[in-house]
Amino acid sequence: MIQRQKKIVETMVFSIPAIILVSLTIYIPFLMSSYYSLTEWNGISKQAVFIGFRNFTALLQGKKEFLTSLWFTTKYTIGYVILSNLIALLLAVALTKRFRLANFFRGIFFVPYIMSMTIVGFIWKFIFTSGFEKLFEFTGWQLWNYSWLGSSHLVFYSVVFVGVWQSLGFYIVLYIAGLQAIPKDVLEAATVDGASSWQKFSRVTLPLLGPSFTTCIFMALTNGLKVFDIILALTKGGPGTASNSVTLQIYKEAFTNNNYGLGSAESIIYFLFVLILTQVVLSAFRRKEVDL
Amino acid sequence: MKKKWISILLSASMAALVLAGCGGASKEAAEKAPVASNQSQQKETPAAKPNTSEEPCEIYMFINSPEYADAMTELIEAYKEVAPHVTINYETTQNDYPTLLKAKINSGDIPDIFASTSGKEIDVYREYSYDLTGQPLQGTIQESVADAMKSAEEGGGLYGIAIKGNYFGIVYNKDIFEECGITSFPSTIAEMKQACETISAKGYKPFTTGFNEWWVFKHVWQHYLDAAAENAGMDVSKLVQMFEKGEAKVSDYPELYNNFFEFIDLAVKYGDDKPLETALDAEISAFGTGKAAMVVGQGAWIEADVLSVNPNIKIGFDGYPVTDKAEQCQVISGSDQSLHVYKDSKVLQPTLDFVNWWYTSDYGKEWFTNVAGVVPPIKGAAASNYAIINQGDALSSQKGAAALAVCYSTDSWHEVFGALIQDYIGGAVDKDATCTAIETRWKEIEGVQ
Repeated sequence: MIQRQKKIVETMVFSIPAIILVSLTIYIPFLMSSYYSLTEWNGISKQAVFIGFRNFTALLQGKKEFLTSLWFTTKYTIGYVILSNLIALLLAVALTKRFRLANFFRGIFFVPYIMSMTIVGFIWKFIFTSGFEKLFEFTGWQLWNYSWLGSSHLVFYSVVFVGVWQSLGFYIVLYIAGLQAIPKDVLEAATVDGASSWQKFSRVTLPLLGPSFTTCIFMALTNGLKVFDIILALTKGGPGTASNSVTLQIYKEAFTNNNYGLGSAESIIYFLFVLILTQVVLSAFRRKEVDL
Repeated sequence: MKKKWISILLSASMAALVLAGCGGASKEAAEKAPVASNQSQQKETPAAKPNTSEEPCEIYMFINSPEYADAMTELIEAYKEVAPHVTINYETTQNDYPTLLKAKINSGDIPDIFASTSGKEIDVYREYSYDLTGQPLQGTIQESVADAMKSAEEGGGLYGIAIKGNYFGIVYNKDIFEECGITSFPSTIAEMKQACETISAKGYKPFTTGFNEWWVFKHVWQHYLDAAAENAGMDVSKLVQMFEKGEAKVSDYPELYNNFFEFIDLAVKYGDDKPLETALDAEISAFGTGKAAMVVGQGAWIEADVLSVNPNIKIGFDGYPVTDKAEQCQVISGSDQSLHVYKDSKVLQPTLDFVNWWYTSDYGKEWFTNVAGVVPPIKGAAASNYAIINQGDALSSQKGAAALAVCYSTDSWHEVFGALIQDYIGGAVDKDATCTAIETRWKEIEGVQ
């Protein structure tokens, strides 16, 4: 009995500081912003006017900027999830082969992930503008002469490319861990049964990578939906509104357009959107996982 | 399973929450503030307060325009000799200044001196700003600058001061113009087209545009807006109000519907190779190195940077070709920026002393031209040695200067406006759709709620 009480006290003592900090930075702001989503407030004046659900009805009746940014984010997320996972898996398979510089390359691919997103954004902004200009002078290839950040068609690919480039190392590490956890005896048994190396990969390795897939795709999904800093540093959502993500749109609505209430409402709607989407995707992948 | 579910919920929520949460106002600050302002109203005249000016105190100054950081530091050091007990804590940033200021205001850490744009934004920050009417500096501030510091809602007041007056127009390279045989600045659209052809035939780039930045567009647009209002026989502030109420249509004003878009098309055609990627720094380097003949969307503030690229460049300055009447090609003068004194500041009197000293003392008066090198926002300042300022002075006394139309709208709208024109340049939308978008978004953002 005393033992149990002690345990309860212990649990409380250890978890309360964390709970306080998390509440201060997440739950309380969330509640406050839920309240502000019901008000009309410019973020500056001393009073916020309560207007009920008017912000939400305005948004659901179709505010064009919000919907286009939602579409952009969806496109970005799809491109980002597919490309980052596909390339990371291929590189992980290559890097688990035994060759001399394998560890060195693992390090190299991880470096961009250590850098801050904003810095990566500014570096690539420089490469896209000044770097490509020099490359064009040297090679004369039209590829370098396109306006990668200034054309509303190309900017999507540039943003996805930089996003994938930055986070590739992270997914490679996760896939390498997954690949190394696959028991060697199963692969040996497949070899004994006469499976070709492609058959071994597609019939044994891939299915057993299930948990890695679930983790990586879930991470990529949330990271894709959250995309903000790279776009802010690269294009500020431009040219025009061509690369406006939802997060950037919320930020602009609240801080640039001085519609703090409307911005909060947008973030609440987006929160629900992300919540439902991640749930659906996650449960779909969990069902597909196989056990040994 | 339940645990997993909770962890998923949490991680998913972070995505939206981190964003949603950034700027929640502290309610306490909101509740306390009105009380404080009541108190200050009771002791309305600061002079009546007990004189505590010799006590050491600290003024917190948080403003934008980092390009004047060195000059400001010099000013503050000079004030240190006048008032050794006052410490001025100067902080500056360019990136995202309004967001940082809002965060500070909402957390109750309001700077004693803070910045906004002039004109319409004066009212946005009015409940935090001290009315400087009756202060000694009212005697020296230039009228065009003081006009921009009025509250439109109150119809009066002096809610800020400026670091600088300003000139807006087209900056051009006199040597290139001479080489191409263009003797007078092309001040109508037809002349401008002709000039562009001549200049590009000589192998120069007629324009460098900086269309990557949203604020370049508002600087161009205001010239056309002024002309549209003038030809329609009204004040430009009236025209802006009509757009805000949704009563005006872009297509009703040929200066906007035809001439503005024609100029933008011309600037894109004869401008930078990647117009939407070129920002201010690229503009300055293209102009300074003598590749481009004219700079679009800028004004007096670029001269020092251009001279640091090429000290021997001969800079010319003139208005935009807004119509087919040469006399309407005017430069614009005024102040687009405003420094506010926080009304409920604990160090209100020292802060007022400082800004008064800045605007009325001999050192302060000289500071504007000699140290900061700006268009002086005060009367009776020393003469400048900057070409843009001198030509701006000459032009505005010859032909008159147009009104600073940018100050009638907030930057909230201007940022959207910039994005709309960028979309037009990128070819994502055509001219008519852009005009419709201008009309609806303008009303949506600036219209009376």
